Amino acid sequence: MTSEATSRAVSIDPGGKIHWLGRVRAAAVIVAMLVALVYFVPSLPTYYVRIIDMVLIYLLLATGLNMVVGYAGLLDLGFIAFYAIGAYSYALLASGQFDIHLPFGPILVVGGGLAGMAGVLLGIPVLRLRGDYLAIVTLGFGEIIRLLMNNLVSVTNGPQGISRIDQPFLFGFPLKTPRDFFFILLPIAIFAVTLAWRLECSILGLGWAAIREDQDAARGIGINTTLAKLLAFGLSATLGGFAGVIFAAFQRFVDPVSFSFWESLTIVLIIVIGGVGNLVGVVVGAAVLIVVPELLREYSEYRMLLYGCALVAIILVRPGGIVGRHHNPAWIMQKLGWR
Amino acid sequence: MIKIFLAAVFGVTALGASPALADIKIGTAGPLSNAEALFGNTWQNGMQLAVNEANAAGGINGQKLVLVRQDDQGDPKQGTLLAQKFCDDDGVLAVIANFNSGVTIPSSDVYNRCGLPQVTNSSNPKVTQAGYDNLFRPIANDFMQGGAPAAYALKTLGAKKAAIVQDKQAFGDGVATVFRQTFEKGGGQVTSYSGVAATDVDFSAVITRIKTENPDVVYYGGTMPGVGLFLKQLRELGVKSTFFAADPAFLPDLITTAGPANAAGAIISFQAPPYDSSPKLMQFKTDYKKAFNDDPGPYSAYGYNEAAIIIAAMKRAGTSVTRESIVKELHNTKFDGLMGPVEFDDKGELKSPSLFLYKVKGNDFTLEWPKS
Amino acid sequence: MLPSRTRRSLQRIKPVVTSFLIQQLVNALTIGAIYALIALGYTMVYGVLRLINFAHSEMFMVGGHVAFFLFAASASLSGSALGVLVTLGVFAATFVVVGLLGVGIEEAAYRPLRRASRLAPMLSALGVAIVLQNAVMLFVSRRPLPFPAFLPPISFSVVGAVVTLDQIFIVVFAVALMVTLAWFVNGTTLGVKIRAVSENPRTAQLLGIDVNTPIRLIFFIGPGLGALAGILYASYYGIVVFSMGFVVGLKAFIAAILGGIGSISGAMLGGFVLGVLETFGAGLLPKLTNGVIGSEYRDIFAFSVLVLVLIFRPAGFLGEVVTEEGMVYKRDF
Repeated sequence: MTSEATSRAVSIDPGGKIHWLGRVRAAAVIVAMLVALVYFVPSLPTYYVRIIDMVLIYLLLATGLNMVVGYAGLLDLGFIAFYAIGAYSYALLASGQFDIHLPFGPILVVGGGLAGMAGVLLGIPVLRLRGDYLAIVTLGFGEIIRLLMNNLVSVTNGPQGISRIDQPFLFGFPLKTPRDFFFILLPIAIFAVTLAWRLECSILGLGWAAIREDQDAARGIGINTTLAKLLAFGLSATLGGFAGVIFAAFQRFVDPVSFSFWESLTIVLIIVIGGVGNLVGVVVGAAVLIVVPELLREYSEYRMLLYGCALVAIILVRPGGIVGRHHNPAWIMQKLGWR
Repeated sequence: MIKIFLAAVFGVTALGASPALADIKIGTAGPLSNAEALFGNTWQNGMQLAVNEANAAGGINGQKLVLVRQDDQGDPKQGTLLAQKFCDDDGVLAVIANFNSGVTIPSSDVYNRCGLPQVTNSSNPKVTQAGYDNLFRPIANDFMQGGAPAAYALKTLGAKKAAIVQDKQAFGDGVATVFRQTFEKGGGQVTSYSGVAATDVDFSAVITRIKTENPDVVYYGGTMPGVGLFLKQLRELGVKSTFFAADPAFLPDLITTAGPANAAGAIISFQAPPYDSSPKLMQFKTDYKKAFNDDPGPYSAYGYNEAAIIIAAMKRAGTSVTRESIVKELHNTKFDGLMGPVEFDDKGELKSPSLFLYKVKGNDFTLEWPKS
Repeated sequence: MLPSRTRRSLQRIKPVVTSFLIQQLVNALTIGAIYALIALGYTMVYGVLRLINFAHSEMFMVGGHVAFFLFAASASLSGSALGVLVTLGVFAATFVVVGLLGVGIEEAAYRPLRRASRLAPMLSALGVAIVLQNAVMLFVSRRPLPFPAFLPPISFSVVGAVVTLDQIFIVVFAVALMVTLAWFVNGTTLGVKIRAVSENPRTAQLLGIDVNTPIRLIFFIGPGLGALAGILYASYYGIVVFSMGFVVGLKAFIAAILGGIGSISGAMLGGFVLGVLETFGAGLLPKLTNGVIGSEYRDIFAFSVLVLVLIFRPAGFLGEVVTEEGMVYKRDF
């Protein structure tokens, strides 16, 4: 625990000296990589840009789920519900369904807020549950949301879904092609990951870590586990909601098929394969789980069989995740020279 | 990390680079590995048959036709990814996609942006709502599939009460809704409108309730194996009402799943005339059996038809076979396909869609309506 | 005193209502018995390894397929209807085959992950489930295969409700299996070892118990029971198809949780309760609310009850709250 805390915190010399040169170097490298991404990615074939967009959306989702599962140690198997809430928010507020046509920005806030509230509402009754009982209740919640979307036909159009959703505009620019979406997904993803990292290093993050290790002991030393857990649910759900709004704007069609239990499992898989609790792992996991099935496309109907084999192989070879526990953002920053 | 990822992307680009074009590719995307795997697979088999025949006859201007079969798992997310993949591949000149309406609607946006001629097998009316110039639907939509059985029940069977069950998926919900509207508009009474899950196996609760309603007719909007299981349990629990279902049930598995005694008398809608009603269809059935060692699936004929339409358009395009010329020629389609006359209106819908009602007799389906 | 007309119509309604209720109850018990059998496999594995075995639902599906081919083979060999001996033989053979498959999977995909986090084996199981389902789809059959009914289609009429021999057999057989299992786990040496290992693996090792044998046994029995459930299910509904595992497995897992995971009697109880909840949700709710809440709310109803039960009894019906490393479970074997 101690070594983790050390590797998490930005290391400062005993004398409190901040190495400016190192920091400038690190910042320069990061900026250069970003510029390269922004310059280079749009020139790729649209198929690859679309894949990258999906990776970024799932990265958003996984970052959110990582807060609950990785940081606080609460296994949430129904995370897709918040994604659905976000997506349907956009679908209902920007389409012909009720003939409401709000712009993209406000709906982003509304969708995230609604999802966040749902997260807190989910958190309240499950405070007492532990381990796999919690997992099942969250699974139940996820399924209830999906089934409600499927059944409340007068509101959501049921299994036929909501189509012809409005095209989103941001500051007057239409977001139409995968390239357009890349330009907003990248900053949002960076924002989410940075937010998650700051939270991880904060008092709240330490509280979550304590809850993960031993909930009763954490309570014993005075941590407000109720507040911490509710914040975990709420914040993660908000990120999920954002992802949902963007997804709905991207596809311009939502139906309950996209929000199944299987999708919840996929997000959990991303975190576990990447490395639970580790943001770098989350990035890697999202990339792997979206890209690998696409790479296997040439095998058409054998694709899923190979995918399953690949999953088992990866987990057997790297049970802790592809990225090791200590290879977290702090380690990367240190490697780049930030001291 | 990002560097490794970019390197991987580079590697994939190198791997995926297509060789110099000698083949013309037709892309297709459908459910190949989920619960609907049987439908997607046999659907694409039908296409393969048409492509093989065209190649045997010399291809298009001497170029070989290749059918690129892809799996979208009925997932809109994968459907759009595949759409973009086909779009980016210059060798793909037409697509037959998708199978599920919920996948076709978002994918059609992508196909429209890159001008790929898209022939679809999805029956939901919303699919053609956008009025895309490059989208064609050579099958009857839900209005016909749900409406014709209702009209038949009202007029020919004189039914007054109907119980409707649907599997809460886009297709089942679509046809069941139309059946209900048509039946009620024709003066009938719908005693109950129940939803089940497509993955359900036990319908006893719903059937027990239907039994107390004593309907003349029971309509099941959904797919296999649900239809077969439902029919079996319906008869086993003693409900004698006439049973109607839609074209996913038009395959021998319905009779084997429900049992010939239970399946007898069930009326299934399907869009092709009987396999023995024309030499073309008989030939299709024999060829399919020879090529795939199995009877045609419910959508094999549809797939064959869709591929044949595209191939015909390619042939008419003469020496300049491009995406644009194919779209143009598809609009000019006017021929006698496997399932009947094919001509599109300006929205891409079939001008004269046909629907047939078959009755289960013994181990086979016999034509019930329209009796020619 | 009610007017005679009302009395007569009431007399007419009562048997209809009663037969309706009894029919629903029979349906519920049958499906509940099948859930209970599958739930047993989940609960046994969980009790020892704290592992949600996602591959268990595919054992159920594979069991159905194995039995299908065994029945087909024996039918072609014997050339006639299935005798009792043949049927029992197929049951036993399927149990063994799938049990061995379960042991094999444990060795290959779970044992190496025993030291790893809680989530790793669970997701390995998920990968195994994907592989099994797709393997059967690709190499066995995409279409539903018609499964023979090994019992004659005899049915009884109980107050107007139809009860078939199938249904009675399933309930009786499932209960018998569970009783046998409970006896085995409580009354035999091997059973004691299993309970010891599930209680505390390290202490058990200190006492000289080889941890691997009980675990292998659990992965033999659990999937074997799931396979038998698969046979019953396939015979009752008449088909076996590669996609039948996932949803049923999920429901059975919920049944295990409802009853208190880790508890055999809990799995039994949970299975039957879930069967009743589902039937009530699909059959009675619509009737009670006159169609406002349709049968499609069945799963929402079942899940809501599950959530409520767990909120008020966080360890399920028969579960016991025992906290260890933040995990909660009841072990009664």
